Amino acid sequence: MVGQHDENMLSDMLPIYYSRLFPQNVFCRWLSCGSAPQPLSNRELSFTLADDVYLRYLSISNQKELQTLLQKKCPHKLDIGAVYNTKPSVGRHDAVVLARELVFDIDLTDYDEIRTCCQEAKVCEKCWMFMVIACEIIDKALKEDFGFQSILWVFSGRRGIHCWVSDHEARTLDSPGRGAVADYLCLITGGDNQNKKVHLGSDNLHSSIRRALNIIDKYFEQLLQDQGFFSTPERLEKLSKMIPDEALRSQVQKNLDSMSDNSLDRWKTFINTYENYCRETGINVRKIRYLVEEIKIQYCYPRLDVNVTKGFNHLLKSPFSIHPKTGKVSVVFKPSNAKNIKLDEIPSIHSLLDDSSPDNAQHQANMRTAVKNFQEVVFSLEKLEAIRKKNDANVSLEF
Amino acid sequence: MDLNIRRKSTKTRVTGSLIESYPHDLQMYKLPPLENISLQEFESLALERVTLLRSLATSTTLKGFRIYSEEWVEYIIGELRSQGLKYYAKLCEKSACGTTEADLQARRKDHIAHFILRLAYCRTEELRRWFIARELELFKMRFATMRGDAVESFFKINNLCYTNISDEEKSEIMHFLRESTPYPNLDNMKFYKVKFYEVLDLVKSRRVYLSCGFAYIPHKDFISVLAAQYRTQLKQSLAIACHHLGEIEQDERLVTLLKGLHQSYSGADYSSVKAVVPIESLDSLSVKSFPLCMRQLHEQLRLSHHLKHGGRLQYGLFLKGIGVTLEDSLRFWREEFTRIMELDKFEKQYAYNVRYNYGKEGSKKNYSPFSCLKIINTTVGPGDCHGCPYRHCDISNLKNRLQGYGFNSQAITEIIDMTKKGHFQVACSKYFDAVHHTDLGIGINHPNQYFEESQKIVKGEVKVEVKKEVKSTAVKMEAIDQIEEMDFDEVM
Repeated sequence: MVGQHDENMLSDMLPIYYSRLFPQNVFCRWLSCGSAPQPLSNRELSFTLADDVYLRYLSISNQKELQTLLQKKCPHKLDIGAVYNTKPSVGRHDAVVLARELVFDIDLTDYDEIRTCCQEAKVCEKCWMFMVIACEIIDKALKEDFGFQSILWVFSGRRGIHCWVSDHEARTLDSPGRGAVADYLCLITGGDNQNKKVHLGSDNLHSSIRRALNIIDKYFEQLLQDQGFFSTPERLEKLSKMIPDEALRSQVQKNLDSMSDNSLDRWKTFINTYENYCRETGINVRKIRYLVEEIKIQYCYPRLDVNVTKGFNHLLKSPFSIHPKTGKVSVVFKPSNAKNIKLDEIPSIHSLLDDSSPDNAQHQANMRTAVKNFQEVVFSLEKLEAIRKKNDANVSLEF
Repeated sequence: MDLNIRRKSTKTRVTGSLIESYPHDLQMYKLPPLENISLQEFESLALERVTLLRSLATSTTLKGFRIYSEEWVEYIIGELRSQGLKYYAKLCEKSACGTTEADLQARRKDHIAHFILRLAYCRTEELRRWFIARELELFKMRFATMRGDAVESFFKINNLCYTNISDEEKSEIMHFLRESTPYPNLDNMKFYKVKFYEVLDLVKSRRVYLSCGFAYIPHKDFISVLAAQYRTQLKQSLAIACHHLGEIEQDERLVTLLKGLHQSYSGADYSSVKAVVPIESLDSLSVKSFPLCMRQLHEQLRLSHHLKHGGRLQYGLFLKGIGVTLEDSLRFWREEFTRIMELDKFEKQYAYNVRYNYGKEGSKKNYSPFSCLKIINTTVGPGDCHGCPYRHCDISNLKNRLQGYGFNSQAITEIIDMTKKGHFQVACSKYFDAVHHTDLGIGINHPNQYFEESQKIVKGEVKVEVKKEVKSTAVKMEAIDQIEEMDFDEVM
């Protein structure tokens, strides 16, 4: 249980966790594939020790070295960096980044302005729904639009999810390429001083946005109810601030203020008001052609931390690292199964190591599933890499 | 003077008439020029091209025109004509494949000048970025003005062969093409299939249909493919040129010219300061002498005792630039942050960043405060309140804020008008005048420049007649024209 997590106990438990439960073998295989054609030893690992001491530019050449390093340093947190042209511990000042998984970081704190159940570090089943939607939208886009196949989804350990794309094309994508992919996927822009953060213009909607909207529609009404997006005067105010057209805004305010505070009812009334308004005004609606879609996106679409994706050498927490503040394992999950994840069923180091804990059996089982999920992705990555190498060899023979 | 020092001379020497070397107005600059030119011509060609690149930047920034729009191009051509650079005006206006002597001479100058600037701009990462961004704008602008037959011959000359997708394939995905390609009448267009990373600018702005890693582009979007190739090629060539700098710099006649070329107008970067500003005065300075972007951050920090990363960076570097010492900076941030967190947490998680800004941690680089362009082009996300207030605020929020500061309604209207038109820096200048009760119309390029201009007035170094003095406006504008920030990345 999260409530019983005590950071001070980590130093005693971690050595056991690393040697008995951490999937060292699969982990090394995953990293070595991601490091090809450079050896595993050119990959940067970074440790956070007790008392927030950072160790950067570490590296390992094989599983044995990993085991030794983990036992010796007992990191409270394990991060993964880029692949360099040399061993990162040796020539780090003129080291050049050669490859790096394409990564995405989605964190619930970025949803604070819209989620109503929790704030900041807190997370519950209700706001987990945002992550479910985010995972489905991003996963589809990466596969269907960009043709990526080796995609690893990981629970970040507290309040978000990470995604690692290991396809060769993704790993070797340059900075502008990463920036373009991030911007392609990012629809919500603007800071605290902008109320309306989504602008879809008035031309045709891009295929990828339509697909995202179809996904959002599957969850929208439930999320609306769970979060009560429009159930208080302040939340209604937020909605009305997103309406750029003044006449429409005052109509909406008038209609919604006087009715019951059920968010779904209010939403339906809003849609009616909007549709009537568009019909009556006719010509003037270009500016608000996609208003309904824009609002749905602002409330549901994934909020990516684009800087993590754009940076070529941004460190990101490793799968199966323990979150030092919650004690939870960063488990690998299948995107198709995201909606079935129960937060308190995510294994924590305490219940995994304590067989008298009531959660022990279930957490053990979930840990095994997570390792299996990890294996599946790594095996398919190895297959992909084998095919790629074969093709490359053929091409070079032809010339 | 033999420019060939840049490359081992394995390429066949370009002989024959100019018409063979320069068949087309637009070139990809693949081979360096090999002829001898006089030092004088070298110098004037270099300066003329800097003028050209500069007018591209000015059109976007100081004039605030939308990039590649008609007004944008018009301004540049006008500028070129008024500077006596008719040959560039001609090359930019209508790229074609004429064969008159004037055509050929213009192309020759364009070619040589481009390669001279490579030498001048290869020396630092920042210079390279600026140069690549401008050259790409130039390339795209010239491609866009080309007529159909000229485009075709350009493709032929450069061996760019692509085959379009079959009609069956096209009709299968027609539905998606219609949704995702922002042009009318797709039925008559041929579509081509390229890898998504060949057309990043289209991907970035969602102007192309993507499927399984391929982008489906119509003929007219080929400029994206070309520009991307050109960018890669230019990047590599600059890296190579940089390696050979040593050889070139043996010729002293060239060193000073090449080194000084960009500095001659790039202005200060505010990374070192002489004055010391005590943090106790920040509250009053923020009202009197801070531009709105910094005043807003200061107030937010005082209010919530916290700023997110982007805000800490933007405000922290600005403070360094106006003369807040490292020790004071640490004290300043500590005092605010520890109101909502333990001292220990501040020291562990935030103090590092403050020292980092002063070049005491990590790569130990002395970072420069951000310029307006950097701030305007920054990404601002949920929870952030940095960025440029004229760019990253809703009009209503901005208005409320200004009213809260007690400006008169005329000043507010002027600021808002400029903001609405997208002239963010002009809006900032109006804000300056409103704060100082002047009518100077100073061109603002850098928050720290804003601060210095303001301090001059506050301290009485600059005598200003309050309101209405038309003459000084014109003079000032010119002076500011000389200051242009380097850090101006490509606008895609």
